[in-house]
Amino acid sequence: MSQGNILIVDDDPDITDAMSVVLGNKGYEVRVAHDSDQGRERLKEMKPDLIILDVMMRTSQEGFEFSREIKQNEEFRDVPILMLTGVKEKKGIDFKSAAGDESWLPVQAFLDKPVKPDVLIEKVQDLLSSPKA
Amino acid sequence: MQGLLKSTSLVQRACWLIRLRWVAIGVLAVATFGASEFMDVSLAAVHLYAVAAVVFLYNLGLQQLLGRWTRGGKEPSEARIGGVLAFQISMDLVILTAILHFSGGIENPFLLFFAFHMIIASILRPRLQSYMQATLAVMLFGGLVVLEAAGVLPHYSLEGFADHGLYRDARFVLGTLFVFAVTLYLIVYMTTSISEQLRRNQEALEKANVQLREKDKVKNEYVLRVTHDIKGHLAAVLSSLDLVAGEMLGPLNDRQKDFVGRAHRRTTSCLAFIGALLKLTRMKLTGRLEPEEFSLRKTVANVLSLVQNRASEKGISLTHRMDADIDMIWGENVLIEDTIANILLNAVKYTPQGGKVDLTVVRDGAFVRIRVADTGIGVPAAAVPRLFEEFYRADNARATERDGTGLGLVFAKQVVERHGGRIWFEDNPGGGSVFTFTLPIRHAGDQTPVGQ
Repeated sequence: MSQGNILIVDDDPDITDAMSVVLGNKGYEVRVAHDSDQGRERLKEMKPDLIILDVMMRTSQEGFEFSREIKQNEEFRDVPILMLTGVKEKKGIDFKSAAGDESWLPVQAFLDKPVKPDVLIEKVQDLLSSPKA
Repeated sequence: MQGLLKSTSLVQRACWLIRLRWVAIGVLAVATFGASEFMDVSLAAVHLYAVAAVVFLYNLGLQQLLGRWTRGGKEPSEARIGGVLAFQISMDLVILTAILHFSGGIENPFLLFFAFHMIIASILRPRLQSYMQATLAVMLFGGLVVLEAAGVLPHYSLEGFADHGLYRDARFVLGTLFVFAVTLYLIVYMTTSISEQLRRNQEALEKANVQLREKDKVKNEYVLRVTHDIKGHLAAVLSSLDLVAGEMLGPLNDRQKDFVGRAHRRTTSCLAFIGALLKLTRMKLTGRLEPEEFSLRKTVANVLSLVQNRASEKGISLTHRMDADIDMIWGENVLIEDTIANILLNAVKYTPQGGKVDLTVVRDGAFVRIRVADTGIGVPAAAVPRLFEEFYRADNARATERDGTGLGLVFAKQVVERHGGRIWFEDNPGGGSVFTFTLPIRHAGDQTPVGQ
């Protein structure tokens, strides 16, 4: 029985594989993409309950740009996003101007890599149980 | 060719000349009074007092002018301030000539004072201008003594001091004038040569300094790049190890658990080091803070809840006290939170079981003073001066905890000093360490109280 569908977008296959195991063990259905193009493809095939997004992929802000794109899409607007980045990186991209502006940076949570399995699970459960925006 | 000094210091020098002139005016008045009243030297005292009065007014005017320039906050252009300096020096030559005229002319040994003016000109102005000043001095002095000798100008003898026939002796006048001119030109030549050399050295040093700073930046960018890459790999390694060590891929026997555990611990501490280096390097590369108003009270509460777990595990009592009137302060919240956490975690790390760690936050004028005292292993006296050095770890710290980056305090110092605060270490009288740092409550340029 699936606890929910999760899409992980990260260019490091070792990270996505490890996360898939952690989340798979907890009963989540996990799909993986390694850049935003693949991510877009996956979104055509599935409607995730949660998206886990890396920031630096082919460009240093690909993840942020993709998150914005997702939130501009009618269908996926309500899907919570967990961003894999440290607080410092987050500041580096003008987080302040985004703080009060959901449409600019529509991200519900941040975690710095490497994410400990128990922390990841806790965060995911947290995001999936909170009422949708 | 440029003068030795840059325009900021030229302004300072112009003001310095004005101050010197106040002294000179005083000395002129007192010397005139002394010479005429007590030494029975006859001189044109009234004329000299008049000269002093004129110079007084002239200097007052100059002071007003420069004062207006410096108060305006706008830096006058180098050409403009250079012009003022040249004018001042020329006027001083005229003034000195006038003073000599009324006090014996060629008989007065104060004619040596022209030398000072040549030195000042050679330090402050370019070489050609200094030669022109020397020429002006020779013309003024020469004109004076020649015209006095020829009887065109009246001669005010220093009766009672020098032979008052000398000024009419053509050989003496021309000889003195010749030596006078040679001396002035030589002074200008020597002084400008030295100041030229100094200026070249100064320029070379400045250039070297700029190059060093550029190289340091390149180095930091390199370190940032490398650490970032390493961090990515380590994160992947640790994610895989987490799965194995956490037995998510199946149970392990004891020996497997042992060695995976070791790999996990080493990777974790390596990652901590890389993380600290990344943080420090990133901070060195970002030019300035992005300060905001934030609640220090909340930040301290966050840090305490984080550190409390660690303290409880070791049976350390963690106490804290914060002045009731402290809340909103100015600064970069994330960095300050990191810094407080760093220092508190250090205290917990180096304090043995059952010890005490105490945090106090008090107001100290325009600053908050954050103090972390522990009953831990302390810092040996020999290590104190090196405590804030990159990669340095005291011997006893190394012996107590194998893992440590030697970067935590460097980071803390960077953060605190960037905010305009100070950080220092003291021995805890009862044994242990006390780290204290200050942070400004409000923005340096902001006069309105925070929170209003």
